[in-house]
Amino acid sequence: MMLEHVLILSAYLFSIGIYGLITSRNIVRALMCLELILNAVNINFVTFSDFFDSRQLKGDIFSIFVIAIAAAEAAIGSAIVSSIYRNRKSIRINQSTLLNK
Amino acid sequence: MDLAGPIHDFLLVFLGSGLILGGLGVVLLTNPIYSAFSLGFVLICISLFYILSNSPFVAAAQLLIYVGAVNVLIIFAVMFMNGSDYSNDFHLNLWTIGDGVTSLVCTSIFLSLLTTILDTSWYGIIWTTRSNQIIEQDLISNSQQIGIHLSTDFFLPFELISIILLVALIGAIAVARQ
Repeated sequence: MMLEHVLILSAYLFSIGIYGLITSRNIVRALMCLELILNAVNINFVTFSDFFDSRQLKGDIFSIFVIAIAAAEAAIGSAIVSSIYRNRKSIRINQSTLLNK
Repeated sequence: MDLAGPIHDFLLVFLGSGLILGGLGVVLLTNPIYSAFSLGFVLICISLFYILSNSPFVAAAQLLIYVGAVNVLIIFAVMFMNGSDYSNDFHLNLWTIGDGVTSLVCTSIFLSLLTTILDTSWYGIIWTTRSNQIIEQDLISNSQQIGIHLSTDFFLPFELISIILLVALIGAIAVARQ
């Protein structure tokens, strides 16, 4: 497997995740794009650990940590989104202005 | 996994095109439930990708945690909260000027990353690191290596991750149930 191809794929996923995170009007879709960004980071970790450190595999440990953090982030994010939806009856990003008082 | 050359290349091209189309689908599809399923497809492709790069433990963890837990949670969130917003949202789905500026910025980020990746001589780095490693081959498998690391070097971060997961669990329940 060529290293550059994998890195280019990961850069593509990262940039399209940032695009979706900025332009999406739905909070749940923003969460999905956040998962895309974390997965791009994970692809880089695993690929570098396979190419440069194939005996120690420390990049795999870091990718497992990132997966655990992403699971916690998804749980907290869904809870916050459901709380906002209960208060505002809307999941548009620009209508969640509860702190603006 | 060390497959033969043509099978490996075919799988790589297949997974790469799946990643590209799925990533576009997550961002550009109008219905959020379709983009949630497209996200699941992207995550499955990434998991197969980890199997191709000799990391079956991370592939299993990706498949179990991301596809089994996170994506199902997101689909539940879409299904619970997709009520009144989506139907009257069509007139706002135009291509605004902010989208154009953002796509320009993201394309420039991607192109700068691309030039950085293509300019770096990776194989020189590979040969310098390979020469530093010990020549002898041990017979420890991937998951055994990860388990040894998690119980010796990375023991404190492992415990901190478990505390973070517990706090996130309690916090999510406390936020969502009131």
